[in-house]
Amino acid sequence: MPEIMDSSTAVNDSTVSGDASVSSSGNQMPPPKAEKKKRNLPGMPDPDAEVIALSPKTLMATNRFVCEICNKGFQRDQNLQLHRRGHNLPWKLRQRTSKEIRKRVYVCPEESCVHHDPSRALGDLTGIKKHYFRKHGEKKWKCEKCSKKYAVQSDWKAHSKICGTREYKCDCGTLFSRRDSFITHRAFCDALAVESAKEPVAPPSVEEEPDPQTVDPSPPSPPVQSPPSVPTSSPTISLILPDQTPESQDDPIPQSTQAIDDTPTPVQVASLTASSSSSSNNGSTRSTVFASLFASSTASGSMHSQPSGFTDFVHATAQADPMHDLGPSLSIEPTSLCLATNHGSSIFGTAGHECRQYALPPQPAMSATALLQKAAQMGAAATNASLLRGLGVVSSTSSTGQQHWNAQQFESGSASLAAGLGLGLPYDGGSGLKELMMGTPSVFDPKYTTLDLLGLGMAAGGGPTGELSALMTSIGSSLDPASTYGNAEFSGEKYGRSS
Amino acid sequence: MKTEIRGNASSLPLQTSSHFNSSSQNPLAGALHGCLGNLDGACIEKLLLHCASALEQNDVTLAQQVMWVLNNVASASGDPNQRLTSWFLRALVSRASRVCPTTMNFNGSSASKHRLMSVTELAGYVDLIPWHRFGFCASNSAIFKAIQGCPKVHIIDFSITHCMQWPTLIDALAKRPEGPPSLRISVVPSWRPPVPPFLNVSSEEVGLRLANFAKFGDVPFEFNVIEDLHNPSYDNNSSNFHYDMLLSILNPSTLGLRDDETLVINCQNWLRYLPDDQKGNASRDVFLCMIKRLNPRIVTVIDEDSDLGALSLTSRITTCFNFLWIPFDALETFLSKDSIQRAEFEADIGHKIENIIGFEGGQRIERLESGIQLSQRMNNSGYLSIPFGEETVKEVKEVLDEHASGWGMKNEEDMLVLTWKGHNSVYATAWVPSCGFDEE
Repeated sequence: MPEIMDSSTAVNDSTVSGDASVSSSGNQMPPPKAEKKKRNLPGMPDPDAEVIALSPKTLMATNRFVCEICNKGFQRDQNLQLHRRGHNLPWKLRQRTSKEIRKRVYVCPEESCVHHDPSRALGDLTGIKKHYFRKHGEKKWKCEKCSKKYAVQSDWKAHSKICGTREYKCDCGTLFSRRDSFITHRAFCDALAVESAKEPVAPPSVEEEPDPQTVDPSPPSPPVQSPPSVPTSSPTISLILPDQTPESQDDPIPQSTQAIDDTPTPVQVASLTASSSSSSNNGSTRSTVFASLFASSTASGSMHSQPSGFTDFVHATAQADPMHDLGPSLSIEPTSLCLATNHGSSIFGTAGHECRQYALPPQPAMSATALLQKAAQMGAAATNASLLRGLGVVSSTSSTGQQHWNAQQFESGSASLAAGLGLGLPYDGGSGLKELMMGTPSVFDPKYTTLDLLGLGMAAGGGPTGELSALMTSIGSSLDPASTYGNAEFSGEKYGRSS
Repeated sequence: MKTEIRGNASSLPLQTSSHFNSSSQNPLAGALHGCLGNLDGACIEKLLLHCASALEQNDVTLAQQVMWVLNNVASASGDPNQRLTSWFLRALVSRASRVCPTTMNFNGSSASKHRLMSVTELAGYVDLIPWHRFGFCASNSAIFKAIQGCPKVHIIDFSITHCMQWPTLIDALAKRPEGPPSLRISVVPSWRPPVPPFLNVSSEEVGLRLANFAKFGDVPFEFNVIEDLHNPSYDNNSSNFHYDMLLSILNPSTLGLRDDETLVINCQNWLRYLPDDQKGNASRDVFLCMIKRLNPRIVTVIDEDSDLGALSLTSRITTCFNFLWIPFDALETFLSKDSIQRAEFEADIGHKIENIIGFEGGQRIERLESGIQLSQRMNNSGYLSIPFGEETVKEVKEVLDEHASGWGMKNEEDMLVLTWKGHNSVYATAWVPSCGFDEE
């Protein structure tokens, strides 16, 4: 099983197993499936890295690393290097190895795979091998306890170790395999809140003694009072609010003002920040807090105070700027913060304005025109295929990412371009996408390999709005094949830019 | 610079022959397979680049055509690349066609339909992938170490995850051999940017639950919600998020600082929302400078590791695409294509994409910088980095071991970085002011 070696790399520390011969200079023996590309890697941390694509056979081989001195094979490069040290190589040879190896990254040979793209390359050989097995390989290893299957033996081992061993159960019944998830869930779970509310909480400490100053009934549910001198485990909520007067409620969350022992509804507790300095006594703060709680909560104590009260606070603290009457109606546009002045205008103006001072990044090698032409051809085929599907040509579905988009897109329905273009996109509007695409297949006929994608021939050069409406019109009309074919040719010369 | 499209019809075997009954019905089947049928990231990236470039040059026609093509690629329920592309497309369409308002209106004037989660749903959300948990763990561990010996601790929490970070810290403190310190956590809800994930309860409610939890662990606990005077009626849907004025409350009394407390400042997925225009709105630096004056014991900064603040749309779009593929890929490994949790997580990333790609100026609130850039900024602002100890590294590794095996971690230059298949995703750093105060 030969493997492509980089001809510029003089030393090969990795050759294929089973092949006892050692090559000290590059040898190029292209196996049928392997390919190797060298390229710049946009988006990659190391743009100088050499991209290597190994063949599936190579990836699945073991003992790829062979010592050139004694031909002993190793599964890992690190092990080989360790072994090589034992040979007491002259310093020069060792040095050569480390100097001349460029950083290598590996891509997956599987074209449909996300890691086939160099900017998604994996940095080590083990990684790409494991990936290949996991994603494209057969799952040969099976967990005995839960029957889960794995393609990589180490994954299976790792799973078997923990399978069924660690399970955390919340009082609400949910099971967790991860401790942090369990803890976080438990902290916020209703089960905990209910539990604390139920018990009159009689732990040994002093904490449950209700503060006589508080308005009763205040059962020791959160927040709990404790005598000022012993701030033990009693939690307290306090809201640093400038204003204590009852205010109108903006907050959509219903406020409950009594029976704080019930469910953990938000209990508003306000502390008099205006008067409290940073050295305020915890206890007195809390009792004051409780008093004001019930005072303000009767009026559905809102956390969001009206600004009029702020004036007093502002003066009291004497540190804040005297901003008055910043009512909720005040809306300083965020854009006023910065000097961008054309935030509201069309994007074209804005973007162009901003970018003119900067050199555009280098344009892709393939021109936009060519790319679109190619895509148009493929698009024709794609939608054609989908049309076939729509006509009942069934394909077997695969469970991996191989399942193509066109499998989901085609249902009958009238196209609504507005929906498709702007409002019907993913997650909450998949239908719009389908509709848009449904609109297009009727455009295509196998014998037309090129087409005016958007039927914009007549509308080129208009303003943004004009273009858009032209677009909508043309795609809308493209539902009628006849009208589209009037503008059938995809003319590259409309787009006179160099890239 | 870029590679050739590998969708060369002539050289590719037809993998998806099962789609067609017979090849005679589809002469372009090979071409189908070549690009759109088998689209790889490089191809999509090129399309996005073309679209961005067209938008920057005011070439509407080309932009729309590329969008049309992307539309054929994108799918909300396809493979990770398709799903990611669908969110990019949405952002581009939103940008190109302001006449069609989307559900994400960053002007704040229209009522946006934000998905509200319950606290327990959010608890599950932050643990779906280690994207957040990594930062929580590293940060909590560093904080735990830094506050040893301090009887009273005050944490000011700037984050977008509504205090999901704190249960594990409270738990760790409760189990400390020497007993827990008194813990106080403060949040400033009006400083939370209008980005998902959104909760269906108030910060006070969150605080209540934390308090309850702390009580069970016998941890003396207090929760403070700090109202911002200038932003009184914060609501999730508005973008009334005026940082320059907000900074005026960064003083000891408004924050309610107490002399006997050790101060901890936690910035988790938050610092990137502080404006940092070259044109003069340097809130980010001002913020760092001002909190330094508060003499915190430790300042933890966690954020996503990518430089997404470039002025040029084309460079942002490619960087963004080459970064956000990571969570999409990670989700694919263990959640099915029609998993709702997955779709929701991806939608929130889509929200981010829409802001990065679709908006400019003050409305573009996502201004992420890389870990290295952030470190530089912290150094320039007078902070020293605190290296993460072995304990922390071990804890983080344990957390990652509980997740899919593609997650890893690197520890370089006092920065812990979460990696997915070797690619950087989230960084965690810890800092301390490097010397005494400047003049107040």
